Amino acid sequence: MMNRSILLVGAFLAVPFFSNAQAEAPKAAAKAEKIAWHGTWKGGLTEAQRTGKPIMLVSAVPQCHSVPGVW
Amino acid sequence: MDRSFLADKDVISASRKFVCIRLATYENAEENKILAGFFSRGGVLENTVFTLLTPDGKTKLVSAGRSPVWAFGGVRGAGINAQPEVSMKKMGQTMEAIALAYPGKGKATKGSPPLPYLADLRLAMNVTAADRQPLVVVYSKSAEQRKKMEQELSKVAWSDQFIGQAQYVSASDASEFKSVKNFKATSGFVVIQPGTFGLTGEPIAVIDAKTSASKLVESLAKALDKHKPSTLTYNQHRQMGSQAGARWVSKTPNQEKEARRGGGRRPQR
Repeated sequence: MMNRSILLVGAFLAVPFFSNAQAEAPKAAAKAEKIAWHGTWKGGLTEAQRTGKPIMLVSAVPQCHSVPGVW
Repeated sequence: MDRSFLADKDVISASRKFVCIRLATYENAEENKILAGFFSRGGVLENTVFTLLTPDGKTKLVSAGRSPVWAFGGVRGAGINAQPEVSMKKMGQTMEAIALAYPGKGKATKGSPPLPYLADLRLAMNVTAADRQPLVVVYSKSAEQRKKMEQELSKVAWSDQFIGQAQYVSASDASEFKSVKNFKATSGFVVIQPGTFGLTGEPIAVIDAKTSASKLVESLAKALDKHKPSTLTYNQHRQMGSQAGARWVSKTPNQEKEARRGGGRRPQR
């Protein structure tokens, strides 16, 4: 019961940051300005050291309940 | 992905003054250790991590946590597009202040920006499906040719027109495309439409490997325009994925899931 509660709370808390429920028109969203992400630590860190820019670091699993294709 | 903090126009604007790194948790043991060094509880690397760092990647500039809410306040569990304006503004303003403190090397910067590559094609298709974006694969068996292609494409990828509009990955062998339907093993910039669940994909264009940056602008724009993002809602996606048996297995164990399954107590938030 305890574990189940923890699971539910965990899933709930993860929603506002890493959920992908979009109601907006996808095509419009695709052309909207977006953050450009480096996909590896090594690549991003090398670029930060090259440019002297600070780093925004985010990590997440690209799946929900093992279903891929969603943050 | 976050529809408030990371989609906020001020945050996106400030992000251009940062190097933005987004990792896939549990896909790389080395990266897992780095992430856990910034944020973990009870020795468990959790599904999600967020922080801002100095350019050497060693020092946290804000509190690390599961999301920007931990650093800038906001509402946990309130759903999409529900973060308070004040929290998003705080994030944008904090990033601008950090950018002033770490303005970068400016004209003293040597070299040119590399393509923001994902680790491999398998992961890249999943990530692009999750982002509902097209994927551009720099494919050639020749390392020398790939380098030339990268140089040309990077001039385009960071331009105002294309920045943030696609994901990128490198491939050197046709076998890497085993989940890409109708792939013809020809060197080039292979623009892929990932399947809904990112387990498969299909080329929507192949641009000649020798295309120069100036010519790439038009051909890439046309190719990216052919991409059709999924229109499923989050719940529809999950439901359809479950029904279709679409499953993702991380390369390393999902520590958070294992901690729960093992009855381990999750630290208090």
